[in-house]
Amino acid sequence: MRPALVLTVPSETSFLGLVREVTRKMAETAGFDLGTADQLALAVDEAATNVIEHAYGGASDREVEIRLEDRGPDFKVEVVDSGNTVDPRAVPDVDLGRYVKERRTGGLGMHLMEKIMDSVTFRRSAGRNVCRLVKRKAAVARGR
Amino acid sequence: MSELTVDKRDVEDVTLLYPKGFINAHTVRLFEGEIREAIQQGRYKIVVNCSGLSYIASAGLGAIMGAIEEIRGGGGDLRLASLNDTVRNIFEILGFNHLYRIYPSEMDAILSFARDGGTGS
Repeated sequence: MRPALVLTVPSETSFLGLVREVTRKMAETAGFDLGTADQLALAVDEAATNVIEHAYGGASDREVEIRLEDRGPDFKVEVVDSGNTVDPRAVPDVDLGRYVKERRTGGLGMHLMEKIMDSVTFRRSAGRNVCRLVKRKAAVARGR
Repeated sequence: MSELTVDKRDVEDVTLLYPKGFINAHTVRLFEGEIREAIQQGRYKIVVNCSGLSYIASAGLGAIMGAIEEIRGGGGDLRLASLNDTVRNIFEILGFNHLYRIYPSEMDAILSFARDGGTGS
């Protein structure tokens, strides 16, 4: 049996470090090299940050659920919240040159997640928002 | 142990920042505050020595992006030194290595200001 883990933390940024550490350990256990495990941990940190800042609007008395699963060919993480549904496609593509000129700093997290993961999808399920992040192991082996 | 500390020292007209720990949405205010303090003091030549930085999330990158125009507008630049592989990788994923000058060592970054007068790219 491959490991799966569900972690529920309060919607406080002080728990992001814990989320990152758990994700990194799980990714290493799933067979990713340390560099890739670090990247996966960053993507999950960004997804959880989005939930705290946007879905919950900064409220610290809610829950963020992190579901991590080694599925064999890939590693799946779902970040689940019961806050406002934020349309991720409302985040414009990041043009770094323009960002610097306009002193904009939002949207970078979403951009990082999409660069790191093989797929980033959002859905509404049972009244909750689910952000699903998937990283294929073969993609890493091919040097992606 | 604290999740982030940021020591600071000045070498002539260059301000050196030493973030130790990690920068994410939880710790970014401290890092941002040190950059803003340097700007308010008119010290626009800033080197961030990343040797103690274990990782940086988008919040930290946003803090740099949010200040860079003002820094360059003041005739200086924010340059980075001594990145570990994790941090370098994040910079490269986002293309930040094309927007900011990165040096292998703190001394290289300090000397770069002496060579070009500090004008950002």
